Amino acid sequence: MDQSASSPASIGLDAVSKSYDGRVRAVDAVSLDVKPGEFFSLLGPSGCGKTTTLRMIAGFETVDTGRIRVGDRDVTDVPVHKRDMGMVFQSYALFPHRTVAENVAFGLRMRKVPKAEIEERVRAALALVALTGFEDRRPGQLSGGQQQRVALARAIVIRPPVLLCDEPLGALDRKLRQQMQFELKQLQKELGVTLVFVTHDQEEALAMSDRIAVMNAGRIEQIGTPTEIYDRPRTRFVADFIGEINLIERPGGKALAVRPEKIVLGAPGAVLDGTIDSASFLGGQTLYRVALSDGRQMLVKETNAGERPVRSVGDKVGLAWAAADGVELEA
Amino acid sequence: MSARPDAGHIAYLAVNGAIITFLLAPIAIITVFALNPTPYISFPPVGISLRWFEKFFSSPEFMGALWLSLQVAVVVLVLSMVIGGLCALALARGNIPGSRVLTAFFMSPLMLPAILTGLALFQLYLLLDIGRPVWGLIMGHTLVAVPYVLRTTLAVLHNFDRRIEEAAAVHGASPARVFFEVTLPLIRPGVFAGGIFAFIVSFDQFPISLFLVMPQGETLPVVLFNYMKFDLDGAIAAASMVSILMAVSVVVILEKVIGLKSYVKL
Ligand SMILES: Nc1ncnc2c1ncn2[C@@H]1O[C@H](COP(=O)(O)OP(=O)(O)OP(=O)(O)O)[C@@H](O)[C@H]1O
Ligand SMILES: [Mg+2]
Repeated sequence: MDQSASSPASIGLDAVSKSYDGRVRAVDAVSLDVKPGEFFSLLGPSGCGKTTTLRMIAGFETVDTGRIRVGDRDVTDVPVHKRDMGMVFQSYALFPHRTVAENVAFGLRMRKVPKAEIEERVRAALALVALTGFEDRRPGQLSGGQQQRVALARAIVIRPPVLLCDEPLGALDRKLRQQMQFELKQLQKELGVTLVFVTHDQEEALAMSDRIAVMNAGRIEQIGTPTEIYDRPRTRFVADFIGEINLIERPGGKALAVRPEKIVLGAPGAVLDGTIDSASFLGGQTLYRVALSDGRQMLVKETNAGERPVRSVGDKVGLAWAAADGVELEA
Repeated sequence: MSARPDAGHIAYLAVNGAIITFLLAPIAIITVFALNPTPYISFPPVGISLRWFEKFFSSPEFMGALWLSLQVAVVVLVLSMVIGGLCALALARGNIPGSRVLTAFFMSPLMLPAILTGLALFQLYLLLDIGRPVWGLIMGHTLVAVPYVLRTTLAVLHNFDRRIEEAAAVHGASPARVFFEVTLPLIRPGVFAGGIFAFIVSFDQFPISLFLVMPQGETLPVVLFNYMKFDLDGAIAAASMVSILMAVSVVVILEKVIGLKSYVKL
């Protein structure tokens, strides 16, 4: 059998639940379907169950109830080492007693790949993450970003059908982080691997993902493309967690959500009228805080381009938006 | 430009110097006595000779005891590394109820005076009527040596990042392979550091050996003690020098051959 010819696999979670020592559910009836070759993110605040979900896919944690499928194989009861996955950890988790080349070769060695082929594939993987020449260093002699690349090379060298990443860029500084985001996305597309990516950083998720599952308190609130999640949030939680949003309460506990940049400022006498309370210059845009007559506040973002009236604090303004830009939230 | 040495720094050097002198002075004195040819231990030395080393190395009694001590210490080294290492793994990883109490229990030989342990074992062997076999002596030494290995290995395990083992598992290593590829190499420095103590504890062991050796099979510290009761000459000092060199060689050899460099932060 040619080990190298693995193609990306789909992943399916069917009502998967997990609680630790009988306390509240860390993961509560999570169902999701990741398509082959998809960049899929699990996004949510700290403690919402992202890591637990990923660890159940990897096999580090058993599920209490539910099934997990990879491709057309039910892996729910398959031990970790037989699930054939690659994984990048937040703390890198490199083998400190091994050289860079040995770290990368590890998965191939476990798969009994012939020596010559191991050498060749390790070389290629290190070239892919721009670490040629670092073969004989130990992890302790590398910078954080370099260790991150070694961890990535170790995971992709086995050409896994599924690659799991738990906040892999969390420990990097902003600049390096953005660069690695770009590189990881490139690499994922090149390799065509199915990637499940855990992050609590909404910008990162929006920028990189094909689809995002937004999690809250162990449950999935919404699954969709970055645009869907941003433009059409289904719940208050999603609307609030992703970006800035104005919530207009409706009778019956419902609410209407409008993004600040979707609101057009004009002369008083529009849908809503108010007074500019504060203005923050953001470079390309200006963010206004508008106090409505009933005491509520609205955020409005105006692009600083072309001709537009100069607004200052205290100005009376009218707020309007296209009906399609107002999103009815379910709860 | 040279910084003016300030009072604090001088005090620091003085205290350190005093401590080092205090620690090393006995060794210096032993060296002087071992090389001094007078037939009894005296000061100041009158010259330099190797006659006491000659006496030590040509005495079948000393040589037999040295050889026995070495053999026992090596067996204790191996046994305590295996037992201490496995115990540490079980206590740190095994999800054993009451593992804190058990840890304290295994460490307890360190808290008890060795003479009590020796006496207890002596009475136990008497009760069991097994005589005083060499393996009984080895067991006694191992009992007090295991805590050293246990402690150093537990320290390593305490700081062990288990994600490293998970990384091995997810990339295809079975539980057994994870152990041999990752866990063992990473705890090895801790086990060997404890092993060095175990070797020295056994090689140096007097109170327990005193109870458990047979007259025709005494270890070096017991033979030296008996010798000293009648003769106090340079042979004792020479024997001490040899013991010190032995201990140092074991440390150096383990360091060079296996490497005690730790990858796990302590
Ligand atoms: N080993 C464990 N034992 C007990 N509770 C745990 C364990 N691991 C996680 N939990 C709990 O399960 C819940 C979900 O944790 P999880 O680590 O999946 O969150 P997360 O979304 O990854 O958060 P973060 O962004 O902080 O990493 C939390 O309430 C956490 O306290
Ligand atoms: Mg997490």
